[in-house]
Amino acid sequence: MAEPYLKVEGIVKKFGPFTALNGVSLDVYPGEVHALLGDNGAGKSTLIKTLAGVHEPTAGQIYVEGKPVKFRSPRDASSAGIGTVYQDLAVNPLISVTRNFFMGRELLRGPKGIGLLRMDEMDKIAHDEMLKIGIDISDPQQAVGTMSGGQRQTLAIARAIYFGAKVLILDEPTSALGQKQQMEVLKTMMRVRKRGDIAIIFITHNEIHSQLVADRYTFLALGQVIGAGKAGELEHDEIRRLMAGGAEMADLEQELSGI
Amino acid sequence: MSDRSEADRRQQESRVQRLIRRPEAGAMVVMIVAIVSITIASNGNALNALGIKNNLAIIAQFGIIATGAAMLMIAGEFDLSIGSMIGFSGMSIAMMLKWGLPFGLGAATPFSAFFITLAMTLALGWLIGTIVVRSGLSSFIVSLAFLFFLRGTTEVCFRLINQSTQISGLEDFKETSWFADIFGGEAFGFLYDIAFQLGFNLNRRGEQWVTGVDARVVWWIVIAGAAYIILSRTQLGNWIFATGDNKDAARANGVPVNRVKVGLFMFTAFCATIFAACQVFDTNTADAAKGNLMELNAIAIAVVGGTLMTGGFGSVIGVVFGAVTFGLVANAVFYIPWLDGSWYRVFVGVVLLAAVFANERIRKRITGGI
Ligand SMILES: Nc1ncnc2c1ncn2[C@@H]1O[C@H](COP(=O)(O)OP(=O)(O)O)[C@@H](O)[C@H]1O
Ligand SMILES: [Mg+2]
Repeated sequence: MAEPYLKVEGIVKKFGPFTALNGVSLDVYPGEVHALLGDNGAGKSTLIKTLAGVHEPTAGQIYVEGKPVKFRSPRDASSAGIGTVYQDLAVNPLISVTRNFFMGRELLRGPKGIGLLRMDEMDKIAHDEMLKIGIDISDPQQAVGTMSGGQRQTLAIARAIYFGAKVLILDEPTSALGQKQQMEVLKTMMRVRKRGDIAIIFITHNEIHSQLVADRYTFLALGQVIGAGKAGELEHDEIRRLMAGGAEMADLEQELSGI
Repeated sequence: MSDRSEADRRQQESRVQRLIRRPEAGAMVVMIVAIVSITIASNGNALNALGIKNNLAIIAQFGIIATGAAMLMIAGEFDLSIGSMIGFSGMSIAMMLKWGLPFGLGAATPFSAFFITLAMTLALGWLIGTIVVRSGLSSFIVSLAFLFFLRGTTEVCFRLINQSTQISGLEDFKETSWFADIFGGEAFGFLYDIAFQLGFNLNRRGEQWVTGVDARVVWWIVIAGAAYIILSRTQLGNWIFATGDNKDAARANGVPVNRVKVGLFMFTAFCATIFAACQVFDTNTADAAKGNLMELNAIAIAVVGGTLMTGGFGSVIGVVFGAVTFGLVANAVFYIPWLDGSWYRVFVGVVLLAAVFANERIRKRITGGI
């Protein structure tokens, strides 16, 4: 069995008196899609923010390639190879695809800040990197605002990979999209998975989407892991039960009919 | 069907379509209309040798501060203190030249007066910017506070030290100091010499009439040129756009958003100081009311030039067109005897409103109507 690239052990995160995460553990392997599922408020976003260096955990330990790490800022996390694609995608709609792709990490000729942009080279890289994971944009100078939601996801994912992400965290990448674009994003994820060297943490509400792509599952409810396992080992009904926060469908049906 | 992708739904635009959709297209049309109609209505006087000099003087003034205002607006902030900063800088330079350096450090030279003033205005720009980024308050309010604060400070300093809110009859430093000359002197004299050789540019006695344009035109060209290159070609330019468009996204990608903003507040202060230095060394006077309402002219020109009120988008070339237009119209009253000068403000109001609508359409087109 391969080593997990990222290992999370007993993460606790408290916001004042409120315990958002209560001892969450998770192993993430390269070349796999790890679906992180759970109801609204379960703590999914809090968990990934901890992994992305936005929050410091109250207790618990994160390991990257077996070594304990501590992230003090998003910078620390991204240089440890953790690339986060947030729900709002962190793109700027009014500026071009290329300028977004290289935002903050522009290729320059000359000193930092006032050095001239190597625009042709950046155009080519942005185009090629996006083509690798599935979309062929005709004009890298077009504003991101003119692209579809699925294309923006692809831009954010390609950018994270190009700048060295080994773990790609996707926070509900399909939730705001239409059917066809959701499939585009899933296809993009599978192309990234096929490379074999990148681990994907896929946060979703959608049980069908998770079953289409996931190799491994972790279910969160009220800040705790209520179930986990590999795709082959979990039954359909079990996934469904865990998705609903551990409640039995039959019980729910009974509750509903009792109203 | 299946090999059709999202990208195919984007209509490929022709070169002409792209050109007319650029943010500065509207500003260019307005500028051409202004040039043609003012030339005709003034019987060409607006564009004779003296007309060009006088027009460029005010165009350059507008251009210098509007470039600063536009850069800051692209980064998503406003600076309403520009006009008061002009008054403050002019007071500071003139006061030192007349009454000597502060703390009894002896007589001032144009060099020391300018750089001490610049150090103060840059510090003020830094302060305004820092308050804005640290507090998260709207820059509209913070810089409005400085509009009043600086104007008041300027008047108080004048009365305390100078007993009057005007200084006139300063020594003509540009005759003796090269440093004063680069602000208050003349430039491009060779073009007027050539025009004279070719038989234009004559006064009534047949001698050479005008010897050059104001040095501030050079400052305008340098500032606008630098701003153009920074915005379109450099890393800093990308950071400015990113900061104004979606600052959280910019920050998440490692753009030093706060430093960009503070730096641009310092840049508008720099532009205001250059404006004031050119004025003081040109006319050898200063006045507590100098620069009044200039912040609003600067913002109006930036908007007419295609800068979005919401940030993230704009064009230095558009600002150049806007400055030319506003300068010509502001001066038109001098060449068109029957014209009431107040039409300038009527014009500004109409053009501004039209420009805001046009810019909004551009923004909607790019963001898909969000
Ligand atoms: N910064 C915060 N301060 C206080 N409470 C928070 C904060 N962030 C999240 N929470 C709380 O933690 C819980 C988990 O939230 P979240 O991680 O966003 O859930 P999910 O992404 O699974 O829907 C929620 O009850 C939320 O209100
Ligand atoms: Mg969430």
